[in-house]
Amino acid sequence: MHSPVLVVNDLSVERSGRLAVEKVSFELPSESETAVVGPNGAGKSTLVAAILGLLPRSTGDVQILGQPLSDNGNLPGEIRSQIAYVPQSLALQGRFPLSVAEFVGFGFDPPGPRWPWRDRRERQSAIEQALDRTGCIDLRNRLLSELSGGQLKRVMLSFCVVRPRQLLVLDEAQAGLDVPSNERFQQLLLQLRRQEGWTVLHVSHDLDMVRRSSDQVLGLNRRLCCSGSPDHTLTPERLIDLYGPNVVPYRHQCHG
Amino acid sequence: MVDTQSLALVLAEPFMQRALVGGLLTGALGGLLGSVAVLRELSFFSDALGHSALLGITLGILIGVNPTLVLIPFAVVFAILVNQLVERSSLPTDALLNIVYSTSLAAAILFLSLVETYRGGIRQLLFGDILGVSTLDLIVIGLLLAAALIYLSLSMRAQVLLTLNQDLAGAVGVQTRWHRLAFIVLLAVVVAVSIKAVGVLLISAFVVIPACAGRLLCRRFPVYVCVSAALGGSCALLGLLASGVTNLPSGPSVVMVQFLGFLAAMILSSGIFRRRQRPVAESLTITSSD
Repeated sequence: MHSPVLVVNDLSVERSGRLAVEKVSFELPSESETAVVGPNGAGKSTLVAAILGLLPRSTGDVQILGQPLSDNGNLPGEIRSQIAYVPQSLALQGRFPLSVAEFVGFGFDPPGPRWPWRDRRERQSAIEQALDRTGCIDLRNRLLSELSGGQLKRVMLSFCVVRPRQLLVLDEAQAGLDVPSNERFQQLLLQLRRQEGWTVLHVSHDLDMVRRSSDQVLGLNRRLCCSGSPDHTLTPERLIDLYGPNVVPYRHQCHG
Repeated sequence: MVDTQSLALVLAEPFMQRALVGGLLTGALGGLLGSVAVLRELSFFSDALGHSALLGITLGILIGVNPTLVLIPFAVVFAILVNQLVERSSLPTDALLNIVYSTSLAAAILFLSLVETYRGGIRQLLFGDILGVSTLDLIVIGLLLAAALIYLSLSMRAQVLLTLNQDLAGAVGVQTRWHRLAFIVLLAVVVAVSIKAVGVLLISAFVVIPACAGRLLCRRFPVYVCVSAALGGSCALLGLLASGVTNLPSGPSVVMVQFLGFLAAMILSSGIFRRRQRPVAESLTITSSD
């Protein structure tokens, strides 16, 4: 039996003088997909940031691949290089002089200082393969700031797949995508997850997608309100508990 | 009338030779750090640092220490404090920086008015005196340029990811706080060292204009950084030569040449886009549904 990739124990995080996340505990089994759902301001992104060591914890422990996250958010380099992250957006205002291939190349490089000409051939080959696998090879010379939302998200997956990793964290990665782009992104994510053996933790508002793709759902509203399989957690009663009485959940019959 | 004989006479002067080398190095340094500063929206920060430098110089004069010796530690401490203020305050960054730079400028002018012997030098502080650059200044600027080149080369991944998304950078192992601080300290030192040559009012032009021109022209990050540095250095050199032969003030001459370079980049970039975008758009209609 595989040991869990991520263990979160009794995690609390304070932001602006109030507890944004309170006593949250869960585990991510290896090669599973877990969704974090909940209303706006429920602490979903704060939880993810604390797990990645980007925000200080008030209490609790986080272990990634068996290694504890230090109090100042540090992890050994070999563990850190096993983590991939897809944020909601990139700061690409105006013309950003960075090509798609260059960006993906930064996903290949290990943490720490590095001369730009090191491992040049191996790096170039990894970039080409990653772009090919995500259907972005024709975009390699485009500027990152020239891409559409859907293209940018697929390029971000190229960044993740350019070197082998174990844990993929997505923070509302589908935000702003239209329906066809979202569908294409989901299909690509599922395909890469199977090929790479990724363990996935993603924050999402798309409950239909969560129901279809996740093995485990965490319902968060500052505290963990519910957790378990999608069928167990995404019930009308639990969704009303989580989002409030104004939510009217319904289920597509074709998925039922 | 400008002729080759007067140009040769100007170039033969040792102070002019030092000024040209100083301008080349300072311009290249400004373009180099400006390439990252502009992308990270720190243009106004460099302006605030420039204005605060006047306060540092004034404090040096008041306590009777060589202002150049006071300026670098002052600029570093000032940059760290302002960075902390920006990180912790809920007010918009541009408003905070405006408060900081206008207050430090006002304080510097008030203190300077108390110092009888320095009243005549205010013009030099504001617009710089590249002709007064010493050999020691050149060595310091040269070493700083080398340090900046090495740091940016080694940390290119960190600089780019930090600019694109701080959380993404942190998640993949970039020491975000350390790199943010290191860059700001480096920028502060460069501004402090360049003030003597460039002046308080024009220092931000050295950081911003060549980088903006480079941004319009380049499609690859390392090329962009190199082009920004090269434009900074060459515009400074041309501006100083123009200033030498026309007897116009050096700092403003350099900035006007930088502006002409920026205009040329705007014109060139519009042409480059038209040529390059057509085939890419055609291929996308076949390969992408987005």
